[in-house]
Amino acid sequence: MNIFFRELRANFKSLLIWGGIVMFFCFAGFEKFSAYYNNPELLVIINSMPKALLSAFDMNAFNLTTITGFFGVMFNFFALILSIAAAMWGSDIISKEERDKTVEFSLSLPVTRSKIITAKTLAAFVNCIGLLLITWGITLAATSKYQPDSEFYNFLSLGMLALFIMQTIFLSIGIFLGSAMKQYKRAGSLAVSILLGTYFFSVISGMSDKLEFLKYFSPFKYFDSARLLHESRLDMTFVWLSVAIIVVSLIGAYSTYSKRDLYI
Amino acid sequence: MSIIEVNNLTKYYGKARGIVNVSFNVDEGEIFGFVGPNGAGKSTTIRLLLSLIFPSGGEAKIFGKDCIKYGPELRQEIGYLPSEVFYYERMKVIDLLKYSASFYKKDCTKRMVELSELMELDLNRRIDDLSYGNKKKVGIVQGLLHQPKLILLDEPTSGLDPLMQRKFFNLIKEENKRGVTVFFSSHILGEVQKLCNRVAIIKEGSIIDIQDIEKLQKDTYKKVRILGSEVDEKRFEIEGVSKLEKNNGAVNFFFKGDINQITRIISEQRITDLTIEEPTLEEIFMHYYE
Repeated sequence: MNIFFRELRANFKSLLIWGGIVMFFCFAGFEKFSAYYNNPELLVIINSMPKALLSAFDMNAFNLTTITGFFGVMFNFFALILSIAAAMWGSDIISKEERDKTVEFSLSLPVTRSKIITAKTLAAFVNCIGLLLITWGITLAATSKYQPDSEFYNFLSLGMLALFIMQTIFLSIGIFLGSAMKQYKRAGSLAVSILLGTYFFSVISGMSDKLEFLKYFSPFKYFDSARLLHESRLDMTFVWLSVAIIVVSLIGAYSTYSKRDLYI
Repeated sequence: MSIIEVNNLTKYYGKARGIVNVSFNVDEGEIFGFVGPNGAGKSTTIRLLLSLIFPSGGEAKIFGKDCIKYGPELRQEIGYLPSEVFYYERMKVIDLLKYSASFYKKDCTKRMVELSELMELDLNRRIDDLSYGNKKKVGIVQGLLHQPKLILLDEPTSGLDPLMQRKFFNLIKEENKRGVTVFFSSHILGEVQKLCNRVAIIKEGSIIDIQDIEKLQKDTYKKVRILGSEVDEKRFEIEGVSKLEKNNGAVNFFFKGDINQITRIISEQRITDLTIEEPTLEEIFMHYYE
């Protein structure tokens, strides 16, 4: 428990910074929306844009002049920000001890390596939940003046659940990389590279049917916001795929970290 | 009973040598010196004992239990002071010490306060505001606050001023009097000489000698210095004499053997002054370093 609370305290500033980033995006986004709101001219402009571009940003699936439709587009940005935060927290929370050389202190204490991973993973997980709640709260605050209907609130809750799963996926991948890699300096950049790579897959998988298989490699595509809106449920195939990724990553983290030399 | 038992312990970092077939025992209540030049494998050995790294071969036991299998349990009773200390920089000294104490099954508050006072530690400063020497003092308090039964020291005095060094040595001696076993790694022989009962010499990853310090100094070598302008140094070219040299009318050498042989030769000569003393460890072991 002591490790858990120390990590929470040490990471609190980082949570605030990420919360600030989310807040900035949210207000910038919904500020723009105030110009789109019930504005038929916008539809004309959007319809004239190239179709591939629109599908890349999921803009053809939504009516941007409604609050529900606009959140559908914002969802993609939230997914990206929250996932990056999760991947960085995950990869950093274990590897930073080696980077800062504190590992010689923290691991000469009477504690098992698995306990360290458990405590640190939980601390990073709490941070992810914190950031999700911040995102949720800000979205609620920013949208309330448009008096959204119950369809919007259902979509919002489902979207948050999807974001939560994505965060957990990238958190676990980050934890795995931070635990397994001896070259701790690269763990963070590799985690973010993987994330951006899979985001790229999600973008191009929507552009052509031939590339559609790529969606299995991109957690961003597991819970497509357009389908969340129209079907009002998560696709269970992808829920199980997500659980599998999370479990495998965490098992990998525990087994490698318990057996490897620490880099001192 | 042996507190530390090391058998053929070997560690390679990839292809690079760490240590090769290192074996030694440290008995209960002993202060065991571990001496060697930089890069000889001293820190590697200690890190293996703490299971921070894993051996490529051989085994190490502490309190009769395997270091890897029982690592966390054993570390309840081990205090460790690394050569360079790194702590969470944004923490206050007091929080860091309390954090460290929270891992041990006993209440460490009293000992923590005692040690901090002894080391003149300012508990309310942040770790990143501390100088190198002050961080080291935090390390000493942190390593000893749980009253361990075994203390592992890895070049502990670097960064401490002479006054603090003395305090530190006294502290270690006191702990030792209470029955605590000390494993003391250093490349400064003077320190080892002051403190240790036995010493192992490690060079290029292998132990080359394990010796009793008193025996080593008393029974083996004498350092002889003879003053006198007419002294013929060639008379001393006998078996047992080494490093014979003459400069500025003084003849210096080391002697190992029956001391009567030397006094006999000296009595034949006209001298102005004579000293026969025990050499420092440094002088004895210099050839291990060369």
